[in-house]
Amino acid sequence: MILAKLAAFFGVLSFLTFGGVSSVIPEMQRYVVEQNGWITAGDFMQLFAVAQSAPGPNVLISSLVGWRVAGFAGSLVALGAICLPAGILAWWVFELLDRYRDSPWRGILQRALAPLVVGLIGAGGYIIATPGAPDWRLWLIAVASAAGMVATKLNPLWIMAAGGLAGGLLL
Amino acid sequence: MVEERRWLTPADFTETIGLCQVLPGPNIGNASIVLGKRWFGLRGAIVAFLGLMGLPYCWVLAIALLYTEFSSIRIIHSIVTGVGAAGAGLFLATAVKLGRPLARKPAALALVAACFVAVALGRISLLVVMPVAIALGILAARKELV
Repeated sequence: MILAKLAAFFGVLSFLTFGGVSSVIPEMQRYVVEQNGWITAGDFMQLFAVAQSAPGPNVLISSLVGWRVAGFAGSLVALGAICLPAGILAWWVFELLDRYRDSPWRGILQRALAPLVVGLIGAGGYIIATPGAPDWRLWLIAVASAAGMVATKLNPLWIMAAGGLAGGLLL
Repeated sequence: MVEERRWLTPADFTETIGLCQVLPGPNIGNASIVLGKRWFGLRGAIVAFLGLMGLPYCWVLAIALLYTEFSSIRIIHSIVTGVGAAGAGLFLATAVKLGRPLARKPAALALVAACFVAVALGRISLLVVMPVAIALGILAARKELV
C-alpha cells in the first residue's frame, strides 16, 4: 500500500520537476512530512544532508526518502517513479522538440519557468533550514553557507563540511 | 561522451541538456535516456540510465545505512543537522544566482515571491502552485515582462 502511494506520488512529481530535482524538494517534504506524517521534518533534513554530501545526482534524495519510508523496495520504487514517467515522455517527444528547437515558444516557456524555479528552490532552502520552530542557529549556518557560496568559488563540499563543524559546535 | 568518444559535439551536448530543461523530470535521467537512445536505441537508454544511477545509488544508500547506526549519538546528529542547514544555504545561494537575471524585472520578482510564500509558508501543493505560476509566467513572458 505504502509502495503504491510512493509510486503514485513520485510518478506525478516526475512531471512537475522543472529545473532539476531541487525545485521539488518542498513538495517532497510536504507530502511525506506534513501530509502523511511518515517521517519528521528533522528526519527529512537528515536525509537531505546525507543525499547532498554523497557523490551523485541530487535525484537520489528520492531514493533515501523511499528507503526511510518503505525500506529497500521503497528506495527503488521512489527513484524509478521519479525518473521513468518523465524519461518515457522525453523518449517520445525529444525528437519532436528538437525539430522545433528554434520556435519562439521554447524561449517563452524557459522564461515563464524561471521565476517559478527560483521561488521553489528558495522555498526548499527555507523549509530544510526550518524543520521546527525557527532556530537562529540553523538559519545562521544556512545564511553563512549561502553567502560563502555566492561570494567565493569554494567547492560546496567545503561549505557543507564547515556547516557540519558549526552544527557540532552550536547544536 | 564528448571528449573521449566523440559521440557528439560540445554544441550538441549543450543543446541536448538545454532541451531537457524545458522537459519535466530529473535532468540526469532524461539526458541519459535521450542520449542513450540516439545511438543504441532502447538498450542504450537503459544502459545509460543504469550506468549513471547505479553506483551513486549504492553509495548514497550505504552512507545512509552507516549513518543510521550512529545517528543516536548526539554529536553526530548535530553535525549532520549542520550539514543539512549548510545544504539549505546552498539552495538559497542557487536561488540567488538563478534569480540575478530577473533582478530588474518587477513582474518576475513578484512571481518569485508569490511562489516562495505559497510553497514555503502556505505549504500549498505544487499541483496547485505550478499550473498557476506557469500560466502567469507565460502571460508575462509573452508581454516581455519576465
